[in-house]
Amino acid sequence: VTALTTLRDAATNMGLATRTTTGAAARLPRRRRRVSALTLFWIVVVAILILPIALFLAVAFSPALLDQGTQWFTVDAFSQALTGQLLVGVLHSLGVGLATAILSAAIGFALSWVVVRTNAPGRRLATGVVFALLLAPSYLIALGWERLLEPNGVLDVLGVPDSGLRAVIYGPVGIVLVLTMKGIPFAFLAISNAVRGLGHEFEDALRVHGGGRFAAMRLNVSMLAPAIWAALAIVFAESVSDFGVATTLANDSHFTVATYTLYTAVQAFPVNFPVASAVSWVLLVLVALALLAQGRALGGRSFRVLGGRSRPAVRRHLSPLGTAGSTALIVVVIVVGVGVPAFGAVSASLIGHLGSLGVHSLTLDNYARVISSPDLSQPLGFSAVLATITATITLAMATVCARLLSSRGDTLGGRVLDLVLLGAVALPGIVFAAGYIFAYNLPLTNTLGIHLYGTTTLLVLAYIATALPSTSRVLVGTMSQLQDSMTHASRVHGSGALRAWLTIVLPVVSRPLLSAWLLTFTATLLELPVSQLLAPAGTEPVSVGINVALGKYDFGGATAMEVLAILFALAVVAAGYALYRVAAPIGWRTIGKAR
Amino acid sequence: MNVRSRIAALGILAVAAAAALTGCSAAAQGSTSSAPASAAAKEPLTLYAAVAYDSMVSKAFTAKTGIPVKVVDDSTGPLLTKIAAEKNNPQWSLFWADGATAYASLDQQGLLAPFTPSASYDSVGQSVVPSDHSYTPTGVTLVPGLIYNSAKISAPTSYNDLLSSTFADKGGMNDPSQSGPTYPLIAGLMNQFGGEKNGVAKGEAYLTKLKANGIKVYPTNGDTLHALETGQIQYGLIQSSAALGEVLTAKTTATFKPKVVYLSKSTLLPANLAMSKSLDATQKAEAGKFIDFALSPEGQALMQKADPAGDSLFYPIVKGGTPLPGMTAFPTAYQTIDPKFWGPLQGQVTTWFDSTVK
Repeated sequence: VTALTTLRDAATNMGLATRTTTGAAARLPRRRRRVSALTLFWIVVVAILILPIALFLAVAFSPALLDQGTQWFTVDAFSQALTGQLLVGVLHSLGVGLATAILSAAIGFALSWVVVRTNAPGRRLATGVVFALLLAPSYLIALGWERLLEPNGVLDVLGVPDSGLRAVIYGPVGIVLVLTMKGIPFAFLAISNAVRGLGHEFEDALRVHGGGRFAAMRLNVSMLAPAIWAALAIVFAESVSDFGVATTLANDSHFTVATYTLYTAVQAFPVNFPVASAVSWVLLVLVALALLAQGRALGGRSFRVLGGRSRPAVRRHLSPLGTAGSTALIVVVIVVGVGVPAFGAVSASLIGHLGSLGVHSLTLDNYARVISSPDLSQPLGFSAVLATITATITLAMATVCARLLSSRGDTLGGRVLDLVLLGAVALPGIVFAAGYIFAYNLPLTNTLGIHLYGTTTLLVLAYIATALPSTSRVLVGTMSQLQDSMTHASRVHGSGALRAWLTIVLPVVSRPLLSAWLLTFTATLLELPVSQLLAPAGTEPVSVGINVALGKYDFGGATAMEVLAILFALAVVAAGYALYRVAAPIGWRTIGKAR
Repeated sequence: MNVRSRIAALGILAVAAAAALTGCSAAAQGSTSSAPASAAAKEPLTLYAAVAYDSMVSKAFTAKTGIPVKVVDDSTGPLLTKIAAEKNNPQWSLFWADGATAYASLDQQGLLAPFTPSASYDSVGQSVVPSDHSYTPTGVTLVPGLIYNSAKISAPTSYNDLLSSTFADKGGMNDPSQSGPTYPLIAGLMNQFGGEKNGVAKGEAYLTKLKANGIKVYPTNGDTLHALETGQIQYGLIQSSAALGEVLTAKTTATFKPKVVYLSKSTLLPANLAMSKSLDATQKAEAGKFIDFALSPEGQALMQKADPAGDSLFYPIVKGGTPLPGMTAFPTAYQTIDPKFWGPLQGQVTTWFDSTVK
């Protein structure tokens, strides 16, 4: 406490009393417009997020509204959904979501620190691994583990006793493990961006006043709180809405999760949307609880530490023990998240007759077939174009969202946006896409001459809505750090708002924006559920192509397509960072760089 | 505030630009997918399909008639989700997939328009045509096709054989909540053991015994085949086309020689084409032409050519059709089940299976 009090004094002396600057901002004259740009922004948010979600949620109470039943008001769907099995599933999902969020945030924080602030060997590898994890669908990671550990699987064939490990992995521990691997990219990107924006002056001040290393780390953690909470919230929401693990590892180990009930409702004949909607309400309640926790933790505090006087951080030279520890961390993430699943799949293909999934993919014929056949190569081109458009628009919108979410003072707009964004993550993709069909295939909209359903435009809008929540969260940490004083100084000296933003804010946030763009691009490239329901007739996104090939037992073609798509995405990520290094002004690159 | 507004304006501009861009590309795609000159007056059809031969048949149909067909090619599950979500404003013209229960359900919801094709069916075909002609069978597969590793076990001869110690801990099947053809398989067993009256109880009793004898449950055909290849199981109860495809393509060794048998009785699983009730008269006539084309010798030949190791391994049901060479002979003992009776029981049976057998 003494250390923190001392620090506050130090910060005040350095001119970082943010309340004063905020007060000044309030007195700046505002121009009044009839329809402000912000209003337009909200209209877009309503159109692409709130309307589809609201219509889907309405089906639980009023199936007749969208021709999904005969009743105009009923709670039948809830009484059907709220069975013992769902309640057990909800409790399981809650536990899994919490454990996954905490583990992912902890590992994401540790990785960020190692990469940004230390000279650990292998730190450059970490970013690549994070994107590889982002690209690997959760069902694929789960399947890799299963191939290794299943009865008569790779380990059994190699004579390695694995029954103990099998019992552990086929259950909640394995589920948390796989979901944590999927959560790490979000946590890492959200937190590492914020770590880059955290100058060294606070730590210096604390150390000068006698604080130890532990106190310094505690101080850093508390100042990175918005990013850490963003990571916790997004990973929690992603975990409770996950379908991939629910249908593989969770299903095979008889560990019911909430999304499984939703899955069975959507897969039934006839499809039971009212029950799926009722389960979605339950998932939303879970997310609201997560937001409540976040609000209580962050409420009313300022985290604006990134200003004109931020001092560059110092890259720490690790002791042999520290080097060993950090290397171990990176190795464990690589082994658990990428190595084991890849080993499981590849070794299965090398051992005679251990699964046709890999046997076919080892011959290069499949790759030649994918590249030469337009049926297989066109989907990749189509998805790449859509992912590029999506990533660009999402980035622009996410910047606005992150700014609104990180603005001080708990505004109603901010809270609604927070709930909508996280709610969109908590609803599984298939539900979200069905909401889009409800909203944009209404006879009324068709009568009005709006024919969006079945067009590439609607698919892109849905991609944007799917990507916006996570991209915004990744930027929240950085945006919370920005001090307005720099922009105000620029305005006082005669810059227009746009010029001030481009010359002051953009350089500071350029690197986080780049990583957010790459995150959105890679996540959109292989997006499946929304693509399945909304891709226009006659077009085929790459994920649908892979799925259809798998459905026809063309494992070779599907694997080759998936491998090519992943390599392509990783090449884009590498090119993005390389281009930034070569083309971005030196000032942009210096910010957040440790000496 | 101003800065924020500008940023918001930029975001909206970007959205608008992209909407224009993608709108253009959508328009471009629309023009490329339509057929040349003669198609000008024809209305395009939208085919939702989950069969491997859908694209090949559609392209040939367009080339022959000039009627453009846009294909949405996906698994049955997502397509049915799409059809259900579009219920108040259907966008599909034709739906082509395996299994009659889903079609019976769509028919009961009043979504299908009846059609009587001009082709004549053989006796097997006639047994799967619905009395109200709400959908049109185009070929049949069987459930279960029992695939077994003949290098390790000899073929069972009846369903009761599978309950004996010879087959203990050796079997696998799919999960009906994840694999489309598996509910008809289970419904078929129920229908055989106890008819419509006592089938559910008798079938549940049989599956409980099968479970006690160690049958394992995998998500879909591919996973059950994987378990067979890896020696986790020695026989699998799956769809005949998947089983026959495995026999035709798998590399046989001294320890792995897959073969297929049909036990008495196997249940017919027809692939069906149905047209949407929402079509106008012109579209209905065009959709009818499409169905007739699929049943014509030319259409049937294309269906058998498109995916020779998978969906093409169906048994033709139009008079004069012959199955592809290498397929196990069509069984003498087969049955059809009433999809209108068994379809609505799917939720109940799947839930029971989930909690008891899986």
